[in-house]
Amino acid sequence: MIASKPLFEELIHSLRNVIAPAIADPYPRTQAYMAAVILEFLSRQVEERSDIAAGRSRALASLFADLAKMPGVSMGNKAGGQHDDEARLAKLIEDLYAQRETIGEAAFVAAHGRVRRALRELLDLDLMIAGKSES
Amino acid sequence: MAQQPTIQDRIADYLKTRLPGAHDLVLSDWVQTAVGWSHEIFVFYANWSEDGRPVRRGFCLRKDPGSGLLRELSSLKEQFLVIKALEPTAAPTPKVYWLEEDPSLIGGPFLVMEKVEGEATNPWSRAGKKFYAEAAKRGKLPRSFVEALASLHNLDWRAAGLDFIGVPGPGKDFALREIAKWESLIHASSKKPEPILSEVIMWLKANAPTVQRLAFVHGAYRTGNLMIKDDAIAAIIDWELQVIGDPMYDVAYVLSDLNREGSPLLSCVVERDLFIDYYQQLTGLAIDFDACRYYQVLYLMRTAAFWLSASGLFAEGRSKDLRLARTTYSVPVVLDMAARALGF
Repeated sequence: MIASKPLFEELIHSLRNVIAPAIADPYPRTQAYMAAVILEFLSRQVEERSDIAAGRSRALASLFADLAKMPGVSMGNKAGGQHDDEARLAKLIEDLYAQRETIGEAAFVAAHGRVRRALRELLDLDLMIAGKSES
Repeated sequence: MAQQPTIQDRIADYLKTRLPGAHDLVLSDWVQTAVGWSHEIFVFYANWSEDGRPVRRGFCLRKDPGSGLLRELSSLKEQFLVIKALEPTAAPTPKVYWLEEDPSLIGGPFLVMEKVEGEATNPWSRAGKKFYAEAAKRGKLPRSFVEALASLHNLDWRAAGLDFIGVPGPGKDFALREIAKWESLIHASSKKPEPILSEVIMWLKANAPTVQRLAFVHGAYRTGNLMIKDDAIAAIIDWELQVIGDPMYDVAYVLSDLNREGSPLLSCVVERDLFIDYYQQLTGLAIDFDACRYYQVLYLMRTAAFWLSASGLFAEGRSKDLRLARTTYSVPVVLDMAARALGF
């Protein structure tokens, strides 16, 4: 997802330079300029949600710990940062499919099921922002 | 200080070079449509006098902005050659006039085709849904929708000279080629790894279906990409995703929930039973529902690739279009649909 800071900047720029100047009616034009001003304040008020990043790290760490206990599953290189861990998981998924015959169907199903459970956790975290609002 | 020529001035100057018998050429009814995500699209009339008689002709110009959704995968030249090849066939398509690859003429490569009379009403809007629902009740448009698709799938694409767009090998090659194409767009668009997409891609590779018969496939056959006049398909437009491949790829797109958002009608216009029966009757093909379910997952992967490309163009500063920024929030939603289709 695009980080909130640069997105705020582009929204403000678009309101000031594209949208507002194109509005002939003074009242909605003023509203567009005011929206830009308020967004500028708002951008200083908000921070990226750290709980989502922490949730992703937890889900990935738990997955790697479980997979390490499963015989025959190639774990790839250990990493550190969140993006490194996601790259490691993406590679692990590719390896899992490639080694399906070697490790046997039962081991594949067990590891694959655990991977999908973690993927669902990651997806649910993203959907906290991108999912449809309940209201 | 001399004023810079506008794009209208430049296009009018261009048309004068292409229509040497035209005198006093002026453009009118100029519209830049906002629908194109890959190209800038201009629709207008040119008015001139020729041999003392007034002439008025509608044109549609598609210009490559250099930062389109499909990036390097989009080729105006291929579009031009495909539409040209389709001209003498039964498939309803616009007449295409000129391709210009020189970016200096109007600021980017472009092609010019006829303005087909009719409407490509957007099916997502409330008014669009109403338009298609009412047309569906009258009965002519749903049948025309199926007939136009069948005209593509029944086409002798080799005889039409369409094999230049690439012919997959037998068996699973078609699906694997499509996966590779959209994977390349993902790699070009996103620096951040996306494990959910990795799982979807690996599943697609492991479960690719065998193609029974190769056909000419539009790749995005739905309302919104079809010009409609008098309740009939006047032209199939948006020639960016066509392939030689499995006709079930198009059928899956029509059957997909992706293209009907709350409407009980496929593509907001045709009853499911009518589509299935009439399509099978016109093409002699039996719809393979397992293959269609597979291709619907492939479409979700392709859609994720589109949104990653769109939001990537915005994040890279190559586009200021806020519609592209909005797609950053669409990626998890489409991945959720794919995950649910795969059972997790």
